[in-house]
Amino acid sequence: MFFHIVLERNMQLHPRHFGPNLRDKLVAKLMKDVEGTCSGRHGFVVAITGVDNIGKGLIRDGTGFVTFPVKYQCVVFRPFKGEILEAVVTMVNKMGFFAEAGPVQIFVSNHLIPDDMEFQSGDMPNYTTSDGSVKIQKDSEVRLKIIGTRVDATEIFCIGTIKDDFLGVINDPGAAA
Amino acid sequence: MSVEPFNRLVKLAARAFYDDITMKGDNQPKTGRSDNRGMAVVILDALTRRQWVREEDLAKDLKLHSKQLRRTLRFFEEEKLVTRDHRRETAKGAKIFSAAVAATSDGQQTGKEGEEKQKMHTHSYCCLDYAQIYDVVRYRLHRMKKKLKDELEDRNTVQEYICPDCGRRYNAFDAMRLVSPNDEYFHCENCNAELVAESDKLAAEEMGDGDDNARRRKREKLRDMLQKMEVQLKPLMDQLARVKDLPVPEFGSLQAWEARANAAGRAANGDSGANDSSKSSQGQGYGGTPMPFLGETRVEVALSGVEVKEEDSKPDAASTSMKVLPPWMIKQGMNLTKEQRGEVKQEPKVDHNSTPSGLSDDKKSKVNDKEDEKDIQDAYIQAYYAAFIKRQQEQEAEKKKQQELENASNAPNDISSDRKVGMKSKRQEDERDDDVEWEEAPTTGTSETHKLNDLNVQADASGDDEDDIDWEEG
Ligand SMILES: [Zn+2]
Repeated sequence: MFFHIVLERNMQLHPRHFGPNLRDKLVAKLMKDVEGTCSGRHGFVVAITGVDNIGKGLIRDGTGFVTFPVKYQCVVFRPFKGEILEAVVTMVNKMGFFAEAGPVQIFVSNHLIPDDMEFQSGDMPNYTTSDGSVKIQKDSEVRLKIIGTRVDATEIFCIGTIKDDFLGVINDPGAAA
Repeated sequence: MSVEPFNRLVKLAARAFYDDITMKGDNQPKTGRSDNRGMAVVILDALTRRQWVREEDLAKDLKLHSKQLRRTLRFFEEEKLVTRDHRRETAKGAKIFSAAVAATSDGQQTGKEGEEKQKMHTHSYCCLDYAQIYDVVRYRLHRMKKKLKDELEDRNTVQEYICPDCGRRYNAFDAMRLVSPNDEYFHCENCNAELVAESDKLAAEEMGDGDDNARRRKREKLRDMLQKMEVQLKPLMDQLARVKDLPVPEFGSLQAWEARANAAGRAANGDSGANDSSKSSQGQGYGGTPMPFLGETRVEVALSGVEVKEEDSKPDAASTSMKVLPPWMIKQGMNLTKEQRGEVKQEPKVDHNSTPSGLSDDKKSKVNDKEDEKDIQDAYIQAYYAAFIKRQQEQEAEKKKQQELENASNAPNDISSDRKVGMKSKRQEDERDDDVEWEEAPTTGTSETHKLNDLNVQADASGDDEDDIDWEEG
């Protein structure tokens, strides 16, 4: 799920950036530092949409770096248990398959794949129904449901299932090709 | 559109899901007295007999404290079974509603007029929302079943993997780290052996240490629960299926319902003052399921009910007791009771007739003149029919003999229908002015019965009764 929230961060700026463009430099560094990172608490920071407030800088003893408290708005993405996501399959093996929904890695183990889908090994390992009408392989797009998340300080990992109503392949590039 | 199947649905759902729900205040200790389980069912049942109802009235009808009722109704509102409406209104506004109730059901008017003239009061109204109830019950059943099934099939459990060599356990969250760059399998971090999925191992070994036993027990319990659910909720599911294609009774919003009910009431009463609530005073309460706008018949009960009752009960009694068959319908071989033959009823009449005549009491005979006449007629008719039946029997016997004769000689195809013919002819004779006919019959010939029967047989052969007469006359 996406959220638009306000976060705060203490930015350390090298003294060489001090000058007329200090603010721009600060924002650029904020984007570079924050976007694409993941915090266990808020999820993945997708984009910074604005800087609300930059507080008074504090000069560090010894280094000369200055610390600015910065309040900024950003869009974050945080997966939840029970959430339905659309994801792209990145890898298929006999244990199941891996997929990505943006920055989130999801593993679907083979017992959470419908029973009528069999694993086919080979050049392009895949799961296929007995009549061959549905196939899951690398780059397939699937809709899945998250049944569990593990949130570390810097990483979120999800377990998903496609063994439920309206889940499964939504677009098969192999079929189109 | 009938509300009855939906009411049954509500009642079943109430008993299935809300039977043991207790409504208690936040700070009320749970004691024996405050245990009001079953109240929810009572309230829902009461609502099936009403449409929109003011909550105070409902509380009064059910002899519940209005606070308690409101708490339960709030709960039902959350459960999406009931729609509620609140509005601030003066006594007049309340009267409009009362008129609407009166129009629908001759409902009791509980509110007293006159008092609280201009004060504004907030009144709450409630009504069953059948369409939503149908959906809610279905959804509830679906969720119950799905939850049990999911757990049974381990759908939402995180797969576990185990190292066959060192016994180290991993779960699916570790999967990312475990994928080896060399092949597509998961490998133990410790000894690099290939991991197996936990359930596969279970299926393969089926050893059953304590953990497995617990799991199996849980599984059995789940399966048991699912089965029980199927059995116990079957009536409810059946009712859902029955209701599926029926149009859902819709009462609309309170305002719309009120307007409609008043209009219907006005049309039914034919009076202009629809808000005149005096009409309702004669009502006896809420009757059945009032559906005013469907053109329900209004039943006016006259309070001088004695006459009505007698009138009502008479035909009832007559219809329940066995009918006396008219004598001409009674045939030999019919299995009838004495009452049906009219024997019991006629006997006392004859007695009654004989006693006054024996005494020759003028007064009495004068008074009973008409009755006596009737009795005499009855007696005559009885005697006549007795003679008639005797005659019939004689004739029958004669005919049989005759037919046997004929049978022996020729025309075997006539026999099959002889009985019918005989009866028919008798009735014909009965219809005619019999005296003349009977008198005439001997003149035509010496063997009167013989001839008559002969003719009848022939008439049967031609299949027409009219011919019979022609023959005779000719
Ligand atoms: Zn190992």
